Amino acid sequence: MAMDDGIERQLAAGRHARAFDLVVPAYKDRVFRLAYSILKDRAAAEDAAQETFVRVWKALPGFDGRAALGTWIYAITRNTCLMELRRRRPTVSFDDPDSTEAQHAAASIATGPAEDPERDNLLRLVEALPRNQQEAVRLFYLEDRSYETVAEQLGMPLGTVKNLLHRARKRLMEVARPDEVKAA
Amino acid sequence: MNEMSLTGPCADYEHDLVELLEGSLGPERARVIRLHVESCARCRAWQAEFAAFDAGLAMALPSPALSSDFERRLQARIAALAQPANRSDVRARADREHERLVEALRRGARRHALLDGIGSAAIAICVLALARGLLEQTDTMQLLFEGPQRLVILGGIGTAVALAALAWTAVRSRLPLAG
Repeated sequence: MAMDDGIERQLAAGRHARAFDLVVPAYKDRVFRLAYSILKDRAAAEDAAQETFVRVWKALPGFDGRAALGTWIYAITRNTCLMELRRRRPTVSFDDPDSTEAQHAAASIATGPAEDPERDNLLRLVEALPRNQQEAVRLFYLEDRSYETVAEQLGMPLGTVKNLLHRARKRLMEVARPDEVKAA
Repeated sequence: MNEMSLTGPCADYEHDLVELLEGSLGPERARVIRLHVESCARCRAWQAEFAAFDAGLAMALPSPALSSDFERRLQARIAALAQPANRSDVRARADREHERLVEALRRGARRHALLDGIGSAAIAICVLALARGLLEQTDTMQLLFEGPQRLVILGGIGTAVALAALAWTAVRSRLPLAG
């Protein structure tokens, strides 16, 4: 990434403040979208993005360049979001779609304004997916269907992301039309 | 909806059908899949169903954006963090300098005390030795001070005291006051 080259040149010259000034505009939207895909709340995602950049600012002088800058920033973002999730509900397991928490989360969507029942239904189904599939699905559509970007942001191999998304969307298709599936 | 889609696509082509829609298949594989789709009603129907579902999902999912003052708030936060850090740096530097000066003064004071002690002890020993010698020679004192050696002895004592005083002054003048 050309922007990363500029940032890394500043870092190599020890100009950390200047490097940070370049990091924020280059990464703020992607960091926010990644945080949103994990936290599922705009305000919380923005707070997490702020916290992420504060951590980046503090840690930038120690960035050794062993990992790509983006990989490093996204790892900080994921850690920040996971800490926020733990802070909210320490015992929640989103990986089990049948768990009480997942059902509660799904129910919370159903209680919202029913302007578009079909959309609400789809969102409820997404909410009931295992957490890693939810994150991948949200991020995939936020990032204009870029498998590579999702893989980089979630810190997963490309093939894993493709499989995750395929399973998630296939499952959603099946449950979105339960009558037809039963008929089949 | 096409009834054929209810049985799903051919298992071997499922992933490729999705990637074909998304344009991420290589040209050769894309050609093979297109040929298959043309001849397979199940895959054709499933692909159409998937495309509709995918578009619906993309529309349904929220696309939030950062608020316009995100960077301004971040800069304010960073500035607030940076200021105490700078203050604490200055404070730490001042503390280190103060510690260094105090330690230098302590070292200088210790040297002064040591040299003062040695000097005092030397003078005391000299005075005692001189007094003892004079007392031991009491009987001959008058003889000595009346004799021809009187000027030599007094001159010798005076010279010794003057040299000791000069040496002591020279040593003290070389001592650093602040280490």
